Amino acid sequence: MDTRGIIFDRVSLSYGRQLILENIVLSIDEGEFVCLLGPSGAGKSSLMRLLAGLAAPSSGEVSINGERVAGPGLDRGIVFQDYTLFPWMSAGENIVLALRQAFPHQLGWQLREVAEEFLDLVGLDQAFHKLPSHMSGGMRQRAAIARAFAVNPPILLMDEPFGAVDAVTRAKLQDLLLQLWQREGSERPKTVVFVTHDVDEAMILASKVVVIGMNPGRVKEVRTIDIPRPRVRRELYRNDRFQLLRNHLIELLQEDVMSELSSDRTVCPPGDGI
Amino acid sequence: MKDMTVEATLPGSNCRQKVAAWAGGRGGFMKTAWLKKLMTVPNILFVALVCLQFLPDRRTDESAVLYQLLIGLLGASYLVYAHLGRGNERVQTAGDLLSLVFVSLGTWQLLTVKLDVLDKMLFPSPALVLDLFIKETPAALKGAAGSLEILLVGYGAALLTAVPLGLVSGWVGRLKRTATPITRVLGPVPPTVYIPYAIVMLPTFKLSSMFVIFIGAFWPVFINTLNGVHTIEGRLIDSARVLKLGSRTMITKVIFPGTLPSIITGATIGLAMSFILLTAAEMIGATSGLGWWVKYISDFADYPRVIVGILYAGVVVTVIMFGFDKAEKHLLRWRR
Repeated sequence: MDTRGIIFDRVSLSYGRQLILENIVLSIDEGEFVCLLGPSGAGKSSLMRLLAGLAAPSSGEVSINGERVAGPGLDRGIVFQDYTLFPWMSAGENIVLALRQAFPHQLGWQLREVAEEFLDLVGLDQAFHKLPSHMSGGMRQRAAIARAFAVNPPILLMDEPFGAVDAVTRAKLQDLLLQLWQREGSERPKTVVFVTHDVDEAMILASKVVVIGMNPGRVKEVRTIDIPRPRVRRELYRNDRFQLLRNHLIELLQEDVMSELSSDRTVCPPGDGI
Repeated sequence: MKDMTVEATLPGSNCRQKVAAWAGGRGGFMKTAWLKKLMTVPNILFVALVCLQFLPDRRTDESAVLYQLLIGLLGASYLVYAHLGRGNERVQTAGDLLSLVFVSLGTWQLLTVKLDVLDKMLFPSPALVLDLFIKETPAALKGAAGSLEILLVGYGAALLTAVPLGLVSGWVGRLKRTATPITRVLGPVPPTVYIPYAIVMLPTFKLSSMFVIFIGAFWPVFINTLNGVHTIEGRLIDSARVLKLGSRTMITKVIFPGTLPSIITGATIGLAMSFILLTAAEMIGATSGLGWWVKYISDFADYPRVIVGILYAGVVVTVIMFGFDKAEKHLLRWRR
């Protein structure tokens, strides 16, 4: 039996009486770029917290390479939509702090050099001493990605990391992420688990899309995206296979939104969650 | 003023007409503009205050020259300031403040020296107070130094103990659950009630003052730190946990800076409390310090000097608060 990779084995999670995730069965291979796609409130972030070790499942088990996840570990880096960087430290200090935990025997100047190198890599060569509050949202996310990659964990968890930036910046950040993900190709490839509610984002990034349904959160469908890389946005929209798959995914998402609307417990604006 | 600069840049005869109309008709444009510029409230009040000086005194006021010099200096520096930074908000604020000062000084002088309607012993003239303010500088500074020593030790000890204790108790759930009911009981006790007991319990007056200030500043700092730990954004804590920070790094690099805004709020309350406690304690049993000095002088019914003492207390507190604000701005510069 192959035990490398991430396995969710009949995982459920509830807070009090509320069931958040129900019977999640999912396996993610090493080196895969997996997008968890689902409407807001479906429990994608909870799934992520389980994987990060920030929460424990109510039943079932999450395991990485055959070992049960019992808490956070340096083998998993995480990037949130916002508030990943500590606002009281400069971008560089943020990275050095992370590096110091991962490489406790390295000297300060060595860590600073690595931090500079990774800031360079994400196009923030002048930002070492900049405080997050003095950077734009896109710059902050670049720095957060630099921090996650600098520590070089085999698994990267990203919880709607580009949710708060404008469309152009978002596209640039997606390209940057893919570039970094493929850069490591020579050694062991990184596994990326990426949460989004944006179908296009999932289709440009993912090698596998996991559609999460809501009330309670469950795996609705797992789809391999076998569109060859590099995926050029302009060409994708003319690609029939892409369009077909895109329509299919949007329909899957719509189902949830529609049933949510018809049950009329919560009024959610149309388009939200797609 | 804005109109003038705008119109003056317009070319042609149209402009001339408009400027002339603005300047109030025929001729004398320059003269009128200058006069109009000088006709501000602080300047008018300044002139009124100067005129007041020529009114005959009803009360002997031998030290008036210094006071008049001060008024002249204030008026002149405002003129220069207003000329250099014309039209901006700061000049406006300075002018408003100065107007208030001029009105107060004028009223004060009018009611004491000029009309003599107030009691001479309780209400000295502004000139006399200024004279004493300068003469008593050594005594006041000595008193302030004594007070500051007590304040520094008491308040410093409170910060040095309350912040680490608050951070650790706020971070460790079990400690927080224990500490919270204790703060509910001991926190609201007015620290002044400790004064008589502290004086009896501790060997010197200085120590007992320090102790009372320590208690008074400790609780606000501790409570704010304790509760502040939970105001840190949850995702920042998650972020730190994912990085596997050790407990020490966690507290010094994440919990402490994240709680700093709350700590500073508590420290501000503690500092204000310290000032009150300091003067209260000094008035009860001290033999030095600014509060003691004011109390000592009032025993001789020397009210002009009492006023000087109060002014000095104000100056000392202002200087400390100024430094405190600067420190706060520096420490919290990472906030937007």
